[in-house]
Amino acid sequence: MSQDMIMLLVKALGETTYMVFISSLISALAGIPLGVILVTTDKGHILENITVNRVLGAVANAARSTPFIILMVAIIPITRVIVGTSIGTNAAIVPLTLAAIPFVGRLVETSLKEVEYGVIEAAKAMGATPMQIICRVLIPEAMPSLIAGLTITVISLIGYSAMAGAIGGGGLGDLAIRYGYQRFRGDVMLATVVILIVQVQLVQSIGDYVASKLNKR
Amino acid sequence: MIKLSNIEKTYEGASGPVHAIKGIDLHVKRGEIYGVIGLSGAGKSTLIRCINMLESPTKGTVVVDGQDLTAMNATELRAARKNIGMIFQHFNLLSSATVYDNIAFPLNLIGTSKANIEKTVAPLLELVGLTDKRDQYPAQLSGGQKQRVGIARALASNPKVLLCDEATSALDPQTTKSILALIRDINQKLQLTVVLITHEMQVIKEICDKVAVIEKGVIAEEGTVLEVFTKPKATITKEFISVIINHDIPEAFKDAEISSTPIPDSSLLVRLSFIGSSADEPVISGLIRRFNVDANIIYGNVDHIKATPYGTLVLEITGEDTDIENSLKYLQERNLGIEVIGYVARHDHVAR
Repeated sequence: MSQDMIMLLVKALGETTYMVFISSLISALAGIPLGVILVTTDKGHILENITVNRVLGAVANAARSTPFIILMVAIIPITRVIVGTSIGTNAAIVPLTLAAIPFVGRLVETSLKEVEYGVIEAAKAMGATPMQIICRVLIPEAMPSLIAGLTITVISLIGYSAMAGAIGGGGLGDLAIRYGYQRFRGDVMLATVVILIVQVQLVQSIGDYVASKLNKR
Repeated sequence: MIKLSNIEKTYEGASGPVHAIKGIDLHVKRGEIYGVIGLSGAGKSTLIRCINMLESPTKGTVVVDGQDLTAMNATELRAARKNIGMIFQHFNLLSSATVYDNIAFPLNLIGTSKANIEKTVAPLLELVGLTDKRDQYPAQLSGGQKQRVGIARALASNPKVLLCDEATSALDPQTTKSILALIRDINQKLQLTVVLITHEMQVIKEICDKVAVIEKGVIAEEGTVLEVFTKPKATITKEFISVIINHDIPEAFKDAEISSTPIPDSSLLVRLSFIGSSADEPVISGLIRRFNVDANIIYGNVDHIKATPYGTLVLEITGEDTDIENSLKYLQERNLGIEVIGYVARHDHVAR
Protein backbone atom coordinates (compact mmCIF):
# COMPACT_ATOMS: atom_id res chain seq x y z
CA MET A 1 0.00 0.00 0.00
CA SER A 2 1.42 3.36 -1.02
CA GLN A 3 2.39 6.17 1.30
CA ASP A 4 -0.49 8.25 -0.10
CA MET A 5 -3.00 5.51 0.62
CA ILE A 6 -1.83 5.27 4.20
CA MET A 7 -2.14 9.05 4.55
CA LEU A 8 -5.69 8.80 3.21
CA LEU A 9 -6.52 6.05 5.72
CA VAL A 10 -5.13 8.08 8.61
CA LYS A 11 -7.10 11.13 7.52
CA ALA A 12 -10.27 9.05 7.14
CA LEU A 13 -9.76 7.53 10.57
CA GLY A 14 -9.39 11.02 12.01
CA GLU A 15 -12.61 12.13 10.32
CA THR A 16 -14.58 9.13 11.53
CA THR A 17 -13.29 9.58 15.06
CA TYR A 18 -14.18 13.27 14.95
CA MET A 19 -17.70 12.64 13.62
CA VAL A 20 -18.38 9.89 16.13
CA PHE A 21 -16.92 11.84 19.04
CA ILE A 22 -18.88 15.04 18.40
CA SER A 23 -22.15 13.29 17.60
CA SER A 24 -21.79 10.98 20.64
CA LEU A 25 -21.10 13.94 22.87
CA ILE A 26 -24.05 16.02 21.66
CA SER A 27 -26.44 13.08 21.57
CA ALA A 28 -25.48 12.14 25.13
CA LEU A 29 -25.94 15.73 26.29
CA ALA A 30 -29.40 15.83 24.74
CA GLY A 31 -30.34 12.16 25.07
CA ILE A 32 -29.71 11.82 28.81
CA PRO A 33 -32.13 14.63 29.71
CA LEU A 34 -34.60 13.15 27.21
CA GLY A 35 -34.34 9.76 28.92
CA VAL A 36 -34.67 11.36 32.35
CA ILE A 37 -37.81 13.21 31.25
CA LEU A 38 -39.25 10.05 29.69
CA VAL A 39 -38.82 8.21 33.00
CA THR A 40 -39.74 10.87 35.51
CA THR A 41 -42.88 12.06 33.71
CA ASP A 42 -44.23 8.52 33.50
CA LYS A 43 -47.26 7.51 35.53
CA GLY A 44 -46.62 7.42 39.26
CA HIS A 45 -43.10 8.83 38.98
CA ILE A 46 -41.65 11.91 40.61
CA LEU A 47 -42.65 14.40 37.90
CA GLU A 48 -45.69 12.62 36.50
CA ASN A 49 -46.93 14.39 33.39
CA ILE A 50 -48.64 12.03 31.01
CA THR A 51 -49.02 14.56 28.18
CA VAL A 52 -45.31 15.43 28.06
CA ASN A 53 -44.45 11.74 28.36
CA ARG A 54 -46.69 10.69 25.47
CA VAL A 55 -45.62 13.52 23.14
CA LEU A 56 -41.89 12.99 23.75
CA GLY A 57 -42.29 9.23 23.45
CA ALA A 58 -44.06 9.60 20.11
CA VAL A 59 -41.40 11.99 18.75
CA ALA A 60 -38.62 9.65 19.86
CA ASN A 61 -40.33 6.70 18.21
CA ALA A 62 -40.89 8.58 14.97
CA ALA A 63 -37.24 9.58 14.79
CA ARG A 64 -36.12 6.05 15.56
CA SER A 65 -38.35 4.41 12.98
CA THR A 66 -36.92 6.49 10.13
CA PRO A 67 -34.06 4.58 8.47
CA PHE A 68 -30.83 6.50 8.90
CA ILE A 69 -30.04 6.77 5.19
CA ILE A 70 -33.45 8.38 4.62
CA LEU A 71 -33.20 10.63 7.65
CA MET A 72 -29.84 11.82 6.42
CA VAL A 73 -31.20 12.91 3.06
CA ALA A 74 -34.50 14.16 4.40
CA ILE A 75 -32.95 16.65 6.80
CA ILE A 76 -30.48 18.13 4.33
CA PRO A 77 -32.27 21.52 4.51
CA ILE A 78 -31.87 21.55 8.29
CA THR A 79 -28.22 20.54 7.96
CA ARG A 80 -27.67 23.47 5.57
CA VAL A 81 -29.18 25.88 8.06
CA ILE A 82 -27.04 24.59 10.94
CA VAL A 83 -23.68 23.94 9.25
CA GLY A 84 -24.01 25.96 6.07
CA THR A 85 -23.36 22.99 3.79
CA SER A 86 -24.69 19.49 3.25
CA ILE A 87 -21.34 17.96 2.33
CA GLY A 88 -18.42 17.01 4.58
CA THR A 89 -17.74 15.78 8.05
CA ASN A 90 -19.45 18.63 9.89
CA ALA A 91 -22.56 18.17 7.77
CA ALA A 92 -22.62 14.46 8.61
CA ILE A 93 -22.62 15.23 12.32
CA VAL A 94 -26.11 16.77 12.13
CA PRO A 95 -28.03 13.66 10.98
CA LEU A 96 -25.82 11.41 13.10
CA THR A 97 -26.66 13.40 16.20
CA LEU A 98 -30.34 13.69 15.37
CA ALA A 99 -30.59 9.95 14.86
CA ALA A 100 -28.69 9.19 18.05
CA ILE A 101 -30.59 11.48 20.45
CA PRO A 102 -33.81 9.41 20.57
CA PHE A 103 -31.70 6.26 20.60
CA VAL A 104 -29.79 7.46 23.65
CA GLY A 105 -33.05 8.70 25.16
CA ARG A 106 -34.62 5.26 25.03
CA LEU A 107 -31.48 3.53 26.30
CA VAL A 108 -31.25 5.98 29.20
CA GLU A 109 -34.94 5.45 29.90
CA THR A 110 -34.40 1.68 30.12
CA SER A 111 -31.38 2.12 32.41
CA LEU A 112 -33.15 4.50 34.77
CA LYS A 113 -36.21 2.26 34.97
CA GLU A 114 -33.99 -0.44 36.41
CA VAL A 115 -33.40 1.69 39.50
CA GLU A 116 -35.65 0.32 42.21
CA TYR A 117 -38.49 2.65 43.01
CA GLY A 118 -37.92 1.96 46.71
CA VAL A 119 -34.66 3.88 46.63
CA ILE A 120 -36.41 6.86 45.06
CA GLU A 121 -39.12 6.59 47.69
CA ALA A 122 -36.48 6.57 50.42
CA ALA A 123 -34.95 9.77 49.00
CA LYS A 124 -38.42 11.32 48.84
CA ALA A 125 -39.00 10.39 52.46
CA MET A 126 -35.76 12.19 53.33
CA GLY A 127 -37.06 15.37 51.72
CA ALA A 128 -35.13 15.24 48.43
CA THR A 129 -36.30 17.52 45.63
CA PRO A 130 -37.05 15.95 42.22
CA MET A 131 -33.80 17.42 40.90
CA GLN A 132 -31.83 15.88 43.79
CA ILE A 133 -33.50 12.55 43.16
CA ILE A 134 -32.48 12.70 39.49
CA CYS A 135 -28.89 13.79 40.08
CA ARG A 136 -28.10 11.95 43.30
CA VAL A 137 -30.20 8.82 43.06
CA LEU A 138 -31.38 7.95 39.56
CA ILE A 139 -28.25 8.76 37.55
CA PRO A 140 -25.60 7.46 40.01
CA GLU A 141 -27.57 4.27 40.64
CA ALA A 142 -27.99 3.65 36.91
CA MET A 143 -24.42 4.65 36.01
CA PRO A 144 -23.04 1.22 35.01
CA SER A 145 -26.07 0.60 32.85
CA LEU A 146 -25.85 4.14 31.39
CA ILE A 147 -22.21 3.57 30.44
CA ALA A 148 -23.18 0.31 28.74
CA GLY A 149 -25.90 2.17 26.84
CA LEU A 150 -23.52 4.92 25.78
CA THR A 151 -21.05 2.29 24.57
CA ILE A 152 -23.73 0.83 22.34
CA THR A 153 -24.50 4.32 21.09
CA VAL A 154 -20.88 5.05 20.17
CA ILE A 155 -20.62 1.73 18.33
CA SER A 156 -23.85 2.37 16.44
CA LEU A 157 -22.54 5.81 15.53
CA ILE A 158 -19.35 4.29 14.12
CA GLY A 159 -21.56 2.18 11.87
CA TYR A 160 -23.82 5.09 10.91
CA SER A 161 -20.84 7.32 10.26
CA ALA A 162 -19.71 4.87 7.57
CA MET A 163 -23.13 5.28 5.98
CA ALA A 164 -22.80 9.03 6.14
CA GLY A 165 -19.62 8.60 4.12
CA ALA A 166 -21.73 7.31 1.25
CA ILE A 167 -23.29 10.72 0.69
CA GLY A 168 -20.10 12.71 1.01
CA GLY A 169 -19.56 12.80 4.73
CA GLY A 170 -15.94 11.74 4.64
CA GLY A 171 -14.39 9.24 6.99
CA LEU A 172 -13.62 5.54 6.66
CA GLY A 173 -16.96 4.67 5.02
CA ASP A 174 -16.36 7.24 2.32
CA LEU A 175 -12.86 5.86 1.69
CA ALA A 176 -14.07 2.27 1.54
CA ILE A 177 -16.75 3.13 -1.01
CA ARG A 178 -14.69 5.41 -3.26
CA TYR A 179 -11.44 3.44 -3.28
CA GLY A 180 -12.28 -0.04 -2.07
CA TYR A 181 -15.52 -0.47 -3.99
CA GLN A 182 -15.53 1.89 -6.94
CA ARG A 183 -11.82 1.52 -7.77
CA PHE A 184 -11.59 -2.17 -6.91
CA ARG A 185 -8.91 -1.63 -4.30
CA GLY A 186 -9.35 -4.73 -2.17
CA ASP A 187 -6.48 -3.79 0.10
CA VAL A 188 -8.12 -0.45 1.00
CA MET A 189 -11.44 -2.18 1.64
CA LEU A 190 -9.75 -4.69 3.90
CA ALA A 191 -7.79 -2.00 5.74
CA THR A 192 -10.91 0.10 6.49
CA VAL A 193 -12.81 -2.96 7.69
CA VAL A 194 -9.95 -3.95 9.97
CA ILE A 195 -9.67 -0.41 11.37
CA LEU A 196 -13.42 -0.29 12.00
CA ILE A 197 -13.36 -3.65 13.77
CA VAL A 198 -10.46 -2.56 15.97
CA GLN A 199 -12.23 0.71 16.74
CA VAL A 200 -15.44 -1.03 17.77
CA GLN A 201 -13.55 -3.56 19.87
CA LEU A 202 -11.67 -0.80 21.60
CA VAL A 203 -14.83 1.17 22.42
CA GLN A 204 -16.60 -1.94 23.68
CA SER A 205 -13.67 -2.93 25.91
CA ILE A 206 -13.33 0.53 27.41
CA GLY A 207 -17.10 0.68 27.96
CA ASP A 208 -17.17 -2.72 29.65
CA TYR A 209 -14.23 -1.84 31.83
CA VAL A 210 -15.70 1.46 33.03
CA ALA A 211 -19.14 -0.08 33.59
CA SER A 212 -17.74 -2.92 35.67
CA LYS A 213 -15.56 -0.51 37.67
CA LEU A 214 -18.63 1.54 38.54
CA ASN A 215 -20.82 -1.43 39.34
CA LYS A 216 -21.01 -1.87 43.11
CA ARG A 217 -23.90 -4.30 43.17
CA MET B 1 -46.68 13.59 68.43
CA ILE B 2 -48.56 11.99 65.57
CA LYS B 3 -52.25 12.49 65.09
CA LEU B 4 -54.10 10.96 62.19
CA SER B 5 -57.71 12.01 61.95
CA ASN B 6 -60.28 10.25 59.83
CA ILE B 7 -57.79 9.12 57.19
CA GLU B 8 -59.23 7.70 54.02
CA LYS B 9 -57.31 6.56 50.98
CA THR B 10 -58.84 5.48 47.71
CA TYR B 11 -56.88 4.28 44.69
CA GLU B 12 -58.08 4.08 41.15
CA GLY B 13 -57.62 0.39 40.55
CA ALA B 14 -58.03 -1.51 37.30
CA SER B 15 -61.50 -2.66 38.35
CA GLY B 16 -62.84 0.52 39.93
CA PRO B 17 -61.76 2.41 43.03
CA VAL B 18 -60.02 0.52 45.84
CA HIS B 19 -60.64 1.73 49.40
CA ALA B 20 -57.31 0.97 51.04
CA ILE B 21 -58.09 2.90 54.22
CA LYS B 22 -61.60 3.69 55.36
CA GLY B 23 -61.46 6.23 58.14
CA ILE B 24 -58.63 5.65 60.59
CA ASP B 25 -57.86 7.71 63.67
CA LEU B 26 -54.52 7.16 65.29
CA HIS B 27 -52.81 8.99 68.11
CA VAL B 28 -49.18 8.31 68.95
CA LYS B 29 -47.66 9.97 71.98
CA ARG B 30 -44.11 11.29 72.15
CA GLY B 31 -41.55 8.60 72.91
CA GLU B 32 -43.98 5.77 72.32
CA ILE B 33 -43.36 2.70 70.16
CA TYR B 34 -46.60 2.16 68.35
CA GLY B 35 -47.18 -1.00 66.35
CA VAL B 36 -49.67 -1.49 63.58
CA ILE B 37 -50.32 -5.10 62.70
CA GLY B 38 -52.39 -6.48 59.87
CA LEU B 39 -52.38 -9.03 57.11
CA SER B 40 -51.05 -8.03 53.72
CA GLY B 41 -53.61 -5.90 51.96
CA ALA B 42 -55.09 -4.66 55.22
CA GLY B 43 -53.90 -1.14 54.46
CA LYS B 44 -51.09 -0.89 57.00
CA SER B 45 -48.44 -0.02 54.43
CA THR B 46 -50.63 2.73 52.98
CA LEU B 47 -51.30 3.98 56.49
CA ILE B 48 -47.62 4.38 57.44
CA ARG B 49 -46.95 6.08 54.09
CA CYS B 50 -49.64 8.60 54.92
CA ILE B 51 -47.69 9.66 58.02
CA ASN B 52 -44.91 11.17 55.88
CA MET B 53 -47.20 11.79 52.93
CA LEU B 54 -45.48 9.40 50.55
CA GLU B 55 -49.13 8.66 49.96
CA SER B 56 -51.42 11.62 50.32
CA PRO B 57 -54.66 10.61 51.97
CA THR B 58 -57.86 11.15 50.01
CA LYS B 59 -59.49 12.51 53.17
CA GLY B 60 -58.44 13.40 56.68
CA THR B 61 -55.53 15.19 58.31
CA VAL B 62 -52.04 14.14 59.31
CA VAL B 63 -50.47 16.15 62.10
CA VAL B 64 -46.89 15.38 63.10
CA ASP B 65 -45.23 17.38 65.87
CA GLY B 66 -47.96 19.99 65.66
CA GLN B 67 -47.63 20.52 61.92
CA ASP B 68 -50.48 19.65 59.60
CA LEU B 69 -48.73 17.86 56.71
CA THR B 70 -51.91 17.61 54.67
CA ALA B 71 -52.09 21.41 54.42
CA MET B 72 -48.52 21.89 53.20
CA ASN B 73 -47.13 22.69 49.79
CA ALA B 74 -44.32 20.63 48.27
CA THR B 75 -41.48 22.74 49.71
CA GLU B 76 -42.89 22.82 53.25
CA LEU B 77 -43.55 19.11 53.07
CA ARG B 78 -39.93 18.37 52.11
CA ALA B 79 -38.76 20.37 55.12
CA ALA B 80 -41.20 18.57 57.40
CA ARG B 81 -40.06 15.17 56.15
CA LYS B 82 -36.61 15.82 57.55
CA ASN B 83 -38.22 15.38 60.96
CA ILE B 84 -39.51 11.96 60.03
CA GLY B 85 -37.02 9.16 59.44
CA MET B 86 -38.11 6.02 57.68
CA ILE B 87 -36.73 2.53 57.25
CA PHE B 88 -37.96 -0.05 54.78
CA GLN B 89 -38.43 -3.77 54.36
CA HIS B 90 -35.97 -3.88 51.47
CA PHE B 91 -33.64 -1.30 53.03
CA ASN B 92 -33.62 0.89 49.88
CA LEU B 93 -29.99 1.88 50.16
CA LEU B 94 -28.01 3.45 47.34
CA SER B 95 -26.08 0.55 45.84
CA SER B 96 -23.59 2.94 44.29
CA ALA B 97 -22.66 4.61 47.57
CA THR B 98 -20.62 3.36 50.52
CA VAL B 99 -22.09 2.79 53.96
CA TYR B 100 -20.72 6.18 54.99
CA ASP B 101 -22.17 7.98 51.98
CA ASN B 102 -25.52 6.29 52.43
CA ILE B 103 -25.76 7.54 55.98
CA ALA B 104 -24.52 10.98 54.89
CA PHE B 105 -27.13 11.14 52.12
CA PRO B 106 -29.84 13.10 53.97
CA LEU B 107 -27.17 15.54 55.17
CA ASN B 108 -25.80 15.98 51.66
CA LEU B 109 -29.30 16.85 50.52
CA ILE B 110 -29.36 19.89 52.77
CA GLY B 111 -25.79 20.88 51.95
CA THR B 112 -24.21 20.11 55.30
CA SER B 113 -20.46 20.75 55.35
CA LYS B 114 -18.08 17.79 55.12
CA ALA B 115 -16.78 18.34 58.63
CA ASN B 116 -20.27 18.42 60.11
CA ILE B 117 -21.27 15.33 58.17
CA GLU B 118 -18.30 13.47 59.64
CA LYS B 119 -19.32 14.67 63.10
CA THR B 120 -22.82 13.25 62.66
CA VAL B 121 -22.07 10.08 60.72
CA ALA B 122 -19.19 8.74 62.83
CA PRO B 123 -21.27 8.44 66.05
CA LEU B 124 -24.14 6.94 64.06
CA LEU B 125 -21.82 4.27 62.65
CA GLU B 126 -20.79 3.61 66.22
CA LEU B 127 -24.40 3.43 67.39
CA VAL B 128 -25.38 0.83 64.82
CA GLY B 129 -22.10 -1.03 65.20
CA LEU B 130 -20.81 -0.63 61.66
CA THR B 131 -17.74 1.54 62.16
CA ASP B 132 -15.54 -1.06 60.46
CA LYS B 133 -17.84 -1.20 57.43
CA ARG B 134 -17.85 2.51 56.64
CA ASP B 135 -16.20 2.21 53.23
CA GLN B 136 -17.98 -0.93 52.07
CA TYR B 137 -20.85 -1.01 49.61
CA PRO B 138 -24.31 -2.34 50.53
CA ALA B 139 -23.83 -5.40 48.31
CA GLN B 140 -21.06 -6.52 50.66
CA LEU B 141 -23.31 -6.43 53.73
CA SER B 142 -25.75 -8.91 55.23
CA GLY B 143 -29.45 -8.09 55.51
CA GLY B 144 -29.17 -7.11 59.14
CA GLN B 145 -26.21 -4.85 58.45
CA LYS B 146 -28.08 -3.21 55.58
CA GLN B 147 -30.98 -2.46 57.89
CA ARG B 148 -28.55 -0.97 60.39
CA VAL B 149 -27.32 1.35 57.67
CA GLY B 150 -30.97 2.15 56.93
CA ILE B 151 -31.53 3.02 60.57
CA ALA B 152 -28.40 5.18 60.77
CA ARG B 153 -29.45 6.97 57.60
CA ALA B 154 -32.93 7.57 58.99
CA LEU B 155 -31.40 9.06 62.13
CA ALA B 156 -28.88 11.29 60.35
CA SER B 157 -31.22 14.23 60.01
CA ASN B 158 -31.99 13.98 63.73
CA PRO B 159 -35.69 13.21 63.31
CA LYS B 160 -38.35 13.16 66.01
CA VAL B 161 -40.24 10.27 64.48
CA LEU B 162 -39.06 6.98 63.03
CA LEU B 163 -41.34 5.06 60.70
CA CYS B 164 -40.57 1.37 60.23
CA ASP B 165 -42.21 -0.17 57.21
CA GLU B 166 -41.96 -3.95 57.73
CA ALA B 167 -38.38 -3.26 58.74
CA THR B 168 -37.67 -6.80 59.92
CA SER B 169 -39.82 -8.81 57.52
CA ALA B 170 -36.92 -9.64 55.23
CA LEU B 171 -34.67 -10.73 58.09
CA ASP B 172 -34.18 -14.01 59.91
CA PRO B 173 -35.51 -14.32 63.50
CA GLN B 174 -32.16 -13.73 65.16
CA THR B 175 -31.34 -10.65 63.10
CA THR B 176 -34.89 -9.44 63.67
CA LYS B 177 -34.25 -9.58 67.41
CA SER B 178 -31.05 -7.55 67.18
CA ILE B 179 -32.66 -4.94 64.92
CA LEU B 180 -35.62 -4.64 67.29
CA ALA B 181 -33.25 -4.28 70.21
CA LEU B 182 -31.50 -1.49 68.34
CA ILE B 183 -34.79 0.27 67.63
CA ARG B 184 -35.77 0.02 71.28
CA ASP B 185 -32.35 1.28 72.28
CA ILE B 186 -32.57 4.40 70.11
CA ASN B 187 -36.17 4.93 71.16
CA GLN B 188 -34.95 5.23 74.74
CA LYS B 189 -31.67 7.03 74.09
CA LEU B 190 -33.04 9.62 71.70
CA GLN B 191 -36.62 9.81 72.99
CA LEU B 192 -37.69 8.97 69.48
CA THR B 193 -41.32 8.27 68.65
CA VAL B 194 -41.54 5.06 66.63
CA VAL B 195 -44.36 3.80 64.44
CA LEU B 196 -43.86 0.37 63.00
CA ILE B 197 -45.99 -1.83 60.85
CA THR B 198 -45.62 -5.56 60.68
CA HIS B 199 -47.49 -8.78 60.09
CA GLU B 200 -45.59 -10.55 62.86
CA MET B 201 -47.04 -10.54 66.35
CA GLN B 202 -43.58 -11.39 67.65
CA VAL B 203 -42.36 -7.93 66.65
CA ILE B 204 -45.23 -6.23 68.45
CA LYS B 205 -44.68 -8.34 71.54
CA GLU B 206 -40.98 -7.64 71.52
CA ILE B 207 -40.90 -3.84 71.54
CA CYS B 208 -44.25 -2.08 71.20
CA ASP B 209 -46.00 -0.10 73.90
CA LYS B 210 -49.24 0.15 72.01
CA VAL B 211 -50.73 -1.76 69.16
CA ALA B 212 -53.47 -1.25 66.61
CA VAL B 213 -54.77 -4.25 64.74
CA ILE B 214 -55.96 -3.26 61.32
CA GLU B 215 -58.18 -5.22 59.03
CA LYS B 216 -59.74 -4.22 55.70
CA GLY B 217 -58.77 -0.58 56.07
CA VAL B 218 -60.14 0.01 59.58
CA ILE B 219 -58.76 -0.42 63.08
CA ALA B 220 -60.24 -3.60 64.49
CA GLU B 221 -58.71 -3.24 67.93
CA GLU B 222 -56.36 -0.90 69.72
CA GLY B 223 -54.74 -0.62 73.14
CA THR B 224 -51.63 -1.34 75.14
CA VAL B 225 -49.87 -4.48 74.03
CA LEU B 226 -50.58 -6.19 77.35
CA GLU B 227 -54.31 -5.45 77.14
CA VAL B 228 -54.60 -6.61 73.59
CA PHE B 229 -52.58 -9.75 74.24
CA THR B 230 -54.32 -10.84 77.35
CA LYS B 231 -57.85 -9.81 76.46
CA PRO B 232 -58.13 -9.88 72.68
CA LYS B 233 -61.59 -9.00 71.43
CA ALA B 234 -61.55 -9.05 67.64
CA THR B 235 -61.27 -12.37 65.83
CA ILE B 236 -58.35 -11.13 63.78
CA THR B 237 -56.46 -10.22 66.95
CA LYS B 238 -57.04 -13.68 68.37
CA GLU B 239 -55.65 -15.18 65.20
CA PHE B 240 -52.52 -13.06 65.41
CA ILE B 241 -52.02 -13.89 69.06
CA SER B 242 -52.56 -17.61 68.58
CA VAL B 243 -49.23 -17.67 66.79
CA ILE B 244 -47.55 -16.74 70.03
CA ILE B 245 -49.90 -17.82 72.76
CA ASN B 246 -51.48 -21.22 72.42
CA HIS B 247 -55.24 -21.00 72.88
CA ASP B 248 -55.93 -24.40 71.40
CA ILE B 249 -56.98 -27.47 73.31
CA PRO B 250 -53.90 -29.57 74.07
CA GLU B 251 -53.10 -32.26 71.54
CA ALA B 252 -53.79 -35.16 73.94
CA PHE B 253 -57.39 -34.02 74.39
CA LYS B 254 -58.14 -33.20 70.76
CA ASP B 255 -60.16 -36.35 70.28
CA ALA B 256 -61.55 -36.71 73.78
CA GLU B 257 -65.15 -35.86 74.48
CA ILE B 258 -65.27 -32.66 76.47
CA SER B 259 -68.33 -31.88 78.49
CA SER B 260 -69.08 -28.41 79.75
CA THR B 261 -70.82 -29.71 82.89
CA PRO B 262 -69.35 -32.04 85.50
CA ILE B 263 -69.78 -35.70 84.71
CA PRO B 264 -69.10 -38.47 87.21
CA ASP B 265 -65.57 -39.76 87.44
CA SER B 266 -64.08 -37.01 85.33
CA SER B 267 -61.21 -34.60 85.54
CA LEU B 268 -61.35 -30.88 84.98
CA LEU B 269 -59.38 -29.05 82.32
CA VAL B 270 -58.65 -25.39 83.02
CA ARG B 271 -56.50 -22.83 81.32
CA LEU B 272 -54.87 -20.33 83.63
CA SER B 273 -53.26 -17.15 82.42
CA PHE B 274 -50.89 -15.13 84.54
CA ILE B 275 -50.00 -11.53 84.00
CA GLY B 276 -47.39 -9.50 85.78
CA SER B 277 -47.06 -10.17 89.50
CA SER B 278 -49.68 -12.93 89.50
CA ALA B 279 -47.18 -14.98 87.53
CA ASP B 280 -45.09 -15.11 90.69
CA GLU B 281 -47.82 -16.57 92.89
CA PRO B 282 -47.38 -20.29 93.67
CA VAL B 283 -50.90 -21.23 92.59
CA ILE B 284 -50.43 -24.91 91.93
CA SER B 285 -48.71 -25.81 95.16
CA GLY B 286 -51.39 -23.83 96.98
CA LEU B 287 -54.00 -25.86 95.17
CA ILE B 288 -52.70 -29.30 95.96
CA ARG B 289 -51.89 -28.40 99.54
CA ARG B 290 -55.43 -27.25 100.24
CA PHE B 291 -57.41 -29.88 98.41
CA ASN B 292 -57.14 -33.56 97.86
CA VAL B 293 -56.54 -33.29 94.18
CA ASP B 294 -53.81 -33.97 91.67
CA ALA B 295 -52.82 -31.28 89.24
CA ASN B 296 -51.23 -32.38 86.03
CA ILE B 297 -49.70 -29.77 83.79
CA ILE B 298 -50.77 -30.47 80.24
CA TYR B 299 -49.35 -27.37 78.63
CA GLY B 300 -47.33 -24.49 79.91
CA ASN B 301 -45.75 -21.37 78.55
CA VAL B 302 -44.22 -18.38 80.25
CA ASP B 303 -43.16 -15.41 78.19
CA HIS B 304 -42.57 -11.70 78.43
CA ILE B 305 -44.52 -8.95 76.77
CA LYS B 306 -41.91 -6.23 76.89
CA ALA B 307 -40.87 -6.47 80.56
CA THR B 308 -44.08 -8.01 81.91
CA PRO B 309 -44.13 -11.76 82.45
CA TYR B 310 -47.11 -13.47 80.92
CA GLY B 311 -47.90 -17.16 81.04
CA THR B 312 -50.45 -19.79 80.21
CA LEU B 313 -50.94 -23.15 81.90
CA VAL B 314 -53.40 -25.87 81.07
CA LEU B 315 -54.11 -28.07 84.08
CA GLU B 316 -55.87 -31.35 84.40
CA ILE B 317 -57.28 -31.57 87.91
CA THR B 318 -58.30 -34.98 89.17
CA GLY B 319 -59.90 -35.98 92.45
CA GLU B 320 -63.27 -36.30 94.11
CA ASP B 321 -65.96 -34.20 92.49
CA THR B 322 -66.35 -31.94 95.53
CA ASP B 323 -62.60 -31.38 95.72
CA ILE B 324 -62.56 -30.41 92.06
CA GLU B 325 -65.38 -27.92 92.66
CA ASN B 326 -63.55 -26.38 95.59
CA SER B 327 -60.31 -26.20 93.62
CA LEU B 328 -62.09 -24.36 90.85
CA LYS B 329 -63.52 -21.89 93.34
CA TYR B 330 -60.08 -21.40 94.83
CA LEU B 331 -58.56 -20.71 91.45
CA GLN B 332 -61.33 -18.30 90.52
CA GLU B 333 -60.62 -16.28 93.65
CA ARG B 334 -56.97 -15.79 92.71
CA ASN B 335 -55.81 -12.83 90.70
CA LEU B 336 -55.44 -14.58 87.40
CA GLY B 337 -57.25 -15.39 84.20
CA ILE B 338 -59.09 -18.68 84.27
CA GLU B 339 -61.00 -20.45 81.59
CA VAL B 340 -62.75 -23.75 82.10
CA ILE B 341 -62.13 -25.90 79.05
CA GLY B 342 -64.41 -28.68 80.29
CA TYR B 343 -64.63 -32.06 81.94
CA VAL B 344 -63.22 -35.19 80.41
CA ALA B 345 -63.82 -38.75 81.44
CA ARG B 346 -60.80 -39.73 83.47
CA HIS B 347 -58.02 -41.22 81.37
CA ASP B 348 -60.25 -41.18 78.36
CA HIS B 349 -57.38 -39.65 76.42
CA VAL B 350 -54.83 -42.11 77.72
CA ALA B 351 -56.93 -45.19 77.15
CA ARG B 352 -56.72 -44.84 73.40
